[in-house]
Amino acid sequence: MNDGVFTELLDLACGAFLLAAVAVLWLRQLTSIVRAFALQGVALAAVAALLGLREGRGELLAVAAGIGLLRAGALPHLMRRALAAGAPGGDGRYQEDVSEARETRPLVNVAASLLSAALLTFLAYAVARPLVALDPTPVTRALPVALAVVLIGFFTLVTRRRALAQIVGFLLLDNGITATAFLAASGVPPIVELGVSFDVLLAVLVLGILTTRMRAAFGGTGIDDLRELRDR
Amino acid sequence: MNGIGTAAVAAQVTLVVVGAPLLTGVMRKVRARLEGRAGAAVTQPWRDLRKLLRKEAITPVGTGPAFRAAPPLLVATTAVVAALVPLVSTATPVGRRADLILVVALLGLGTVAVALAGLDTGTAFGGMGASRQMTVAALVEPTILLAVFALSMPAGSTNLSAIVSGGLHDPVRLVSPAGLLATAALAVAVLAETGRLPVDNPATHLELTMVHEATALEFAGPDLALVELGTQMRLTVLLGLLASLAAPWGIATTTTPLALALALAVLTAKVALLGTALAAAEVFWAKLRLFRVPELLAGSFLLAVLAVTASYFLTGA
Amino acid sequence: MNPAGTAVALAAGLAAAGAAAGALLPGRARVPAVGLCTAGLGTAGLVAGAAALDGARWSARLPGLLPPAGVHLAVDALSGLFMAVAGAVVLAVAVYGIGYAAGRGPHGVASRGVQAALPVFALTLVLVPAAASVSTFLLLWETMALTSLVLVLAEQRGRASVREAGVWYAVMTQLGFVLLLAGLALFAAGAGGETFTALRAGAPALSPAARGTVFVLMAAAFASKAGMVPLHPWLPRAHPEAPSNVSALMSAAMVNLGAYGIVRVAFDLLGGGPRWGWLLVLGTGALSAVHGILQAAMASDLKRLLAHSTSENLGLVLVGVGAAGLFASAGHPLPAALALAAAFLHVVNHAVFKALLFCAAGSVARATGLRDLDRMGGLRARMPATAGFFAVAALGAVALPPGNGFISEWLLLQSLIEGLTVPGLSTAVVLPLAVAVIALSAGLSAAVFVKALGVGFFARPRSERAAAATESPPGMLAGMGLLGLGCTGLALVPGMLGDGLSRAVAVAGFGGGPPLAGDGLELRLEHLAASLSPLWAAGALTAGLLAALALVRVTARRGRRSHVKLWDCGGGAPTARMSYTATSFAEPLQRVFDDVLAPEQDVDVTPVRASTYLVERVRFRRRVPDRIEHRLYRPLIAAVDRLGEAARGLAPGSAHRYLGYGFCGLVALLLTLAVSR
Repeated sequence: MNDGVFTELLDLACGAFLLAAVAVLWLRQLTSIVRAFALQGVALAAVAALLGLREGRGELLAVAAGIGLLRAGALPHLMRRALAAGAPGGDGRYQEDVSEARETRPLVNVAASLLSAALLTFLAYAVARPLVALDPTPVTRALPVALAVVLIGFFTLVTRRRALAQIVGFLLLDNGITATAFLAASGVPPIVELGVSFDVLLAVLVLGILTTRMRAAFGGTGIDDLRELRDR
Repeated sequence: MNGIGTAAVAAQVTLVVVGAPLLTGVMRKVRARLEGRAGAAVTQPWRDLRKLLRKEAITPVGTGPAFRAAPPLLVATTAVVAALVPLVSTATPVGRRADLILVVALLGLGTVAVALAGLDTGTAFGGMGASRQMTVAALVEPTILLAVFALSMPAGSTNLSAIVSGGLHDPVRLVSPAGLLATAALAVAVLAETGRLPVDNPATHLELTMVHEATALEFAGPDLALVELGTQMRLTVLLGLLASLAAPWGIATTTTPLALALALAVLTAKVALLGTALAAAEVFWAKLRLFRVPELLAGSFLLAVLAVTASYFLTGA
Repeated sequence: MNPAGTAVALAAGLAAAGAAAGALLPGRARVPAVGLCTAGLGTAGLVAGAAALDGARWSARLPGLLPPAGVHLAVDALSGLFMAVAGAVVLAVAVYGIGYAAGRGPHGVASRGVQAALPVFALTLVLVPAAASVSTFLLLWETMALTSLVLVLAEQRGRASVREAGVWYAVMTQLGFVLLLAGLALFAAGAGGETFTALRAGAPALSPAARGTVFVLMAAAFASKAGMVPLHPWLPRAHPEAPSNVSALMSAAMVNLGAYGIVRVAFDLLGGGPRWGWLLVLGTGALSAVHGILQAAMASDLKRLLAHSTSENLGLVLVGVGAAGLFASAGHPLPAALALAAAFLHVVNHAVFKALLFCAAGSVARATGLRDLDRMGGLRARMPATAGFFAVAALGAVALPPGNGFISEWLLLQSLIEGLTVPGLSTAVVLPLAVAVIALSAGLSAAVFVKALGVGFFARPRSERAAAATESPPGMLAGMGLLGLGCTGLALVPGMLGDGLSRAVAVAGFGGGPPLAGDGLELRLEHLAASLSPLWAAGALTAGLLAALALVRVTARRGRRSHVKLWDCGGGAPTARMSYTATSFAEPLQRVFDDVLAPEQDVDVTPVRASTYLVERVRFRRRVPDRIEHRLYRPLIAAVDRLGEAARGLAPGSAHRYLGYGFCGLVALLLTLAVSR
């Protein structure tokens, strides 16, 4: 693989990675959000695989495969299951539960979220510039993308109401961090990556259970309902 | 050189004028087929135009010069844009003046003229259409100019000939994230500027959902023909512009008659393909609520911003 | 003698004659005499400015005039540009003003005081750019502020809103003056002299802290004159409430001096400001541009709308100035010169089209007594010339070809694209945002002026007053005609200004070649391979228009147009009450920017007494208050009020106590002096 093609492919993968994060902000339907997240997992795996191919490191390819399985396969599957559990039953009766499947009214409206994402991207670029300047290679130049995804993930976490959208926000954050690790240092050792991945899996499982419990307790997954748990 | 260059410009304009109604015909046909109908012939829009042009010209009482000037102005702005944009050849005598910002502004002039005509009628629908059209136009502007900014960064100029020939010589530029994002942002902006789904439904008959159509309600006869032709030409030119920016292959950079003929054929194919794709996509899209449109435009604005930043950080400027 | 010098002397003489005529002449002769003197003064200013732009330089020192320092005047290309703009605006508006003020009552715009102040105000507009020492500058500046205050208050009888505007204007302009005084005094003390030559020579010796302070004080003072956020609240009050010829002068000539001040002090005298300072200027400009145009989009008072649009346009000018400073501080003279040239060109364009817009609005106000767009309409048939002039000026304001505003905004965008060659974080982040801001304000200004023209002048009249309107007298039309010619000339052959602009930019001292190449018909930017030929574009548009008309003519069976009733989807001709108003036109935009504008609306539903389901009347009211003003000034004014209330305890009414305050103050002052020496 020559330099030009590698750079081109890496840039495209990073672009897709960032776009998927933007799509999460843009979309309302939770199933679409999960799909965008899955696509991001694929893009992340592609970044790892490209780096592995480039540097001829087998373990990176393995990590890439693992990431692909976990982030594009297992996690979206788990989230879809959580969604399906909350969907109105198929007994044919009309049920007024449409809001559960959609992020209807985020704390910051969609247009403003998108504009904020634009500003966050600039911020990421500003922050990453000195880092890039240390060693300006095609790989490190893409670093701002990863930082931007971290910021957008955090933003999602802050502004979205539905528990599932929040989980996706958290996972975006994690994807961003992983991408930062790949781009800045060609990835952390596989064992650490493995540990982190398990952590994430566990977190999603726990959050999934929490969602179910919330639905049982409040009849919805609006995070604001949690306020009621506070002691007065 | 100059003779053939001039011929190229004339060919562009003629192709756009003659081809615009046909493109609409093709798009309607595609839509009809996908919906399981036979659909009218591809030349039907031309027949409609002929019929309208032969009708009596009508001036509604209470309207003024703005109402009468809008239809020819819409056609004129679009025709000038058709002459400027390097659809067929980059080596034309007007290539030096083909500034992307000027092109955007000329299209804006057409929009403003039609909006003023809508207000000039003094009807509620006309005012409604004008208000909505200007709102959308105002919000599209940042997206377009930022996309222009992103596209002109690698070329170092807003000159369209320079951008297009730059893309021809250095195709990597086109498939880089910056190029792709800018094209995507521009595509959304084109949908909004030409009043297609999901921003506006060109085939609607329900006045309350209209945007562009509402401003044109009072036109009849030759005036209506010009408005229709202008709208169709706008779509054709903007699709052609998009094709030239995203896939400039086939555009003549030399001034041989053969290259020119080839470029004309390629252009026709590209625009027809884009039109077909758009028509097919429109079958599956629903019109957005008017107040969801800003969301769409904010999204395309974000794409344009990302295009700019991507060309900064990925090319390491 | 130098032509510039002669012209300046002539202008001063004419101003004195005009002021005397205004104060002394009786009723009928007053307005024409003052108008002619002012027009002559404007012509002299235009000639002086044009001579300076052509390369002439002139300076004079009049030691006897203002002892001890004397009056210093100097004219270079930079002053020439602003003098020429002010002179041209004064000339046209003075001609307009003769018709506008003729036949008015003894109070208001034709009164002695107002007519005497008008030539003095006009003179200061022309002379402020020629001031060449701190004391001269401050003197002219303050005279300008005071005379304009008198003019703003011209119609204060019976209108409380005028008095309120006057108070706002007086307070803000004096605050600005205090900042200016502090800044210039600091600068002069640091540089060791008060003439501009001394300041220029002493500027390099200033410490960075002093430079920064001077820069911020000056920038704030001048920005308040230019109506920049957050120092803008006077502008949308004073401009609409003043008589329209005064609004035209203020909006087209006075606010420019804010931009002039920043360029003169920061580039020429200070020799460039700090980088963060320029970022601040650029940011303020961008914020004002968006804020101004959004408020204009919501406004339904025609003159208020124009005032907000002034704030927007000056914002764009400051974006150009800030970008120029940013590029210059990074050591890139070429984009800096281009950005500054764009800013200057926008000053010129804005002055001409905004003067014309205000004059046309004044015509409408004079003919109908209306400023509310919602009640206008149908004026194009009743005042065709005024409507035509408004349309020409609006075309300039919307930044679309073939209007003159488009050219300067095009140049501004080109300078930002050129600025991409400047490395550095701030440019990388700031430039795209600046482009987005310019684009958004251009897009919104299209909506704003479509609203003003379409709702105010087109369709049918929405009130009896609008229906009874008649065209303005020829004097006013002549003034507007001059401005209309200016708009058209600037729109078609901006290249004529090329050399003058290059000379004016050269005063800023960036070095490097001239930013623009042009042969009168075309603007060329060689290194960007970009060129714009407005005449060609206009010609091509005309050709296209003729072709389209020919197509119709050739194919049409019957040549005559027949006039029929409006169709309105079968509804038949609607009444004027059904047509869209300015408020309804702005509604979608207001919804889109709901979070930014935070409009207040309330709906009153009055049911019929018998049943709550039958509605007798629905009242809907919506206000879009200026949020910055609400958040910033309300608490401030409240705090000042509280302070005032608290201070009442100090004034019990005893004369001994008051004398005691004075005595204590004197002793304390002397003590401080004694101790500190």
